[in-house]
Amino acid sequence: MFLVNELIALLAVNLILTQALGTSTLFIAANSRKNLIGTACVITIFTTLGSFAAYFTDKNLPEKYSDYTLFIYALTVGIIYVILLSALYFISRDKFVKTRKYIHVSAFNCAVMGTLFTIHNKASEDSSLLNIGSYVLSGIEAGVGFIIAALILTAAYRTLNSSKVPSSFRGFPAMLVYLGIISMAVYALK
Amino acid sequence: MNKERSSVFAGITWDNMVLSSLMVISPVIVCGDTLRNAEALVYAFSSITMLSVCIASFVPKKLPYALKVIIYALISSLVFIPVKVAAQEFYPGIVLRVGIYFPLLAVNSLIVFQTEAKFFKLKKIPMFFTVLFYVIGFDIVMLLTGIIREFLAYGTINGKVTDVDMLISGLSQPFGGFIFLGLMCGLYRKIRSMFSKEVSEVRSEADVSGK
Repeated sequence: MFLVNELIALLAVNLILTQALGTSTLFIAANSRKNLIGTACVITIFTTLGSFAAYFTDKNLPEKYSDYTLFIYALTVGIIYVILLSALYFISRDKFVKTRKYIHVSAFNCAVMGTLFTIHNKASEDSSLLNIGSYVLSGIEAGVGFIIAALILTAAYRTLNSSKVPSSFRGFPAMLVYLGIISMAVYALK
Repeated sequence: MNKERSSVFAGITWDNMVLSSLMVISPVIVCGDTLRNAEALVYAFSSITMLSVCIASFVPKKLPYALKVIIYALISSLVFIPVKVAAQEFYPGIVLRVGIYFPLLAVNSLIVFQTEAKFFKLKKIPMFFTVLFYVIGFDIVMLLTGIIREFLAYGTINGKVTDVDMLISGLSQPFGGFIFLGLMCGLYRKIRSMFSKEVSEVRSEADVSGK
């Protein structure tokens, strides 16, 4: 029962299904199951590390410089991007060649930046959430939410791209309608 | 020459960034439920994208790809600041209405990734017009979505009550946005395929007569 409750809670705060954040990235990665899972995992790393950095930004940035929040978030994500690419390069050249595409796709997109801004807004509304635990947990939650959405899409990917679907609706349009129906179900859960 | 011209107009014809490549669809799905929101997003997207891409075109091409992507994101994050200030001045309430989707427009994939793939391979003037037509393509879809969803979901157009009997309130929700955009995307593909068939038929007839 605990697991079911947790799953419902995760779905209810899912950034893709409730706010459409990262949908474009999900579709870009959807052309293969391997790509989708790889991208979802890298996005989880970005949202987790990004939320860690966002906490320090939100805590230390004076109110009068709040317009620079986006710039600092972008800089932070850029630094994580370079660190991940460099780490992968030094660990294994083969892995670097095989996995760098996931890092390129995952760095700057609505899923990562949207997560940071969602956490930022929640903390602005409720100051009790302005702590590192809450930020990192929200970051992990967003990443896991992306993985769940990726799995939901993967489950129907082959059917939505099959010849049984009219050619105009095959692929992206069918996937959008499918996500809409799943999103409607999640909306009912809230 | 014709090929060049058609590629400049691609953004509003056969390669619409929202309906064809599904780029920048989050704001369309979530915020595109009224014409006012759509106008706000059109203003923000057009100004941020045009300015950012034009400034980013001066970034040296020899830099590593990852570094260039970061620089493009930082440029658009800086462009976002005066655009936001101007928005608060001239369109009060716009930032609140659009919420987190306002800053997210600054790191959209058209600026961060497509600049390298599509625009910076062109010379400056054709690049400017190509970007402009891609932006107009987004604007058209955004406004159409705003008008239709507002009409069907709330029975209003730009806040003015219309005489409509049946409302589909679900269209104002994100799930309604997903489904509506999916249907629009399918319709766009259908129309595009009809036109491309016509063009190819005309071409094949011309080839036969030529022989």
